[in-house]
Amino acid sequence: MIRKEAIRLISKKIVGDVIVSANGYISRDLFEVNDKPTNFYMIGSMGLASSIGLGLALQNPKKMIHVFDGDGNILMNLGSLTTISKLKPKNFIHIIFDNSSHESTGGQPTSTNKISIDAIAKAVNFKVFKCHSKNSLDKIFKKIKKMYGPIIILVKISKSEKISRRVSLPPKKIKARFMKSLQS
Amino acid sequence: MNEIHQRRIFDYLVKNKIENFIGVPDSTMKYFIDQGFKRKKVLITTREEEAIGIASGFALSKSNSLVFMQNAGFANSISTITSLVQLYEIPLIFLIGWRGYLKKDAPEHMKIGKIQPNLLKILDLPRKIITDKNWKASCNWALKKLANHESCTLIIRRVFL
Repeated sequence: MIRKEAIRLISKKIVGDVIVSANGYISRDLFEVNDKPTNFYMIGSMGLASSIGLGLALQNPKKMIHVFDGDGNILMNLGSLTTISKLKPKNFIHIIFDNSSHESTGGQPTSTNKISIDAIAKAVNFKVFKCHSKNSLDKIFKKIKKMYGPIIILVKISKSEKISRRVSLPPKKIKARFMKSLQS
Repeated sequence: MNEIHQRRIFDYLVKNKIENFIGVPDSTMKYFIDQGFKRKKVLITTREEEAIGIASGFALSKSNSLVFMQNAGFANSISTITSLVQLYEIPLIFLIGWRGYLKKDAPEHMKIGKIQPNLLKILDLPRKIITDKNWKASCNWALKKLANHESCTLIIRRVFL
């Protein structure tokens, strides 16, 4: 599965709930395949999508908060997993798209082909699922409907050929419509 | 700053609807943080940027936050301040210690202590030094900034070694 396809499939399953997407191609893909006011595109501050998601999850216990992260992003803020685990937000679902590379900057490798993020997540008490195909994606999403977070879904993806366009909304607009969507 | 004022500052900010106190500890403000622990309102994070990210999630949900850190952590946070807090205009109060304010502080604090005022200035972060004498006025200034959806910084000087 390529990232854009995975993001399309997963974001269609998330109706009316929040998605915080990491900078780089993850936000660009999400913007192209399923733009919604409930998406918060984090276009800078690499590494922090899971932290922003944690703040949202704690303050909005009745909404499910989904974080669309990358392997490079989470490796930059691994400490975040310990903080999330300490607080155990039930409404926190962390989806990590792992292509073992920094694809937006030219495909330089990360360490996830040698170390396993799922083992790290398990060690800090997340419920962890690993996904390699469209089929397993459907099964995992059915399963987690009946579960409490914090949950991590590691989605292994292959490198893409086509690049999505940049998020064309101004940051203040992203924020304003996102905040408004939280009120409803 | 003395213990009683640090504790009062915490209570005053809570009374004025600051709901979240998130950050990395600094001995310069240890009574402030301790007051937060007593009231079960403090979240300690692994890094300062993480604290800013969490506080931003709260701010997007209209819940006010203060982020505390040492000036070493402030140096860590510059990119997060420019590419998250300022980019999206997210209102937060920063409370930053000022190590290296005294000329005889430990060597690792001297350089950052020297450039801290200029760093804040070129970042365009409104700032005030909070002291035993002006603490209430400084808090009111910060609360007003927040009410106007602006971020700002309160600085606590390290006046002991």
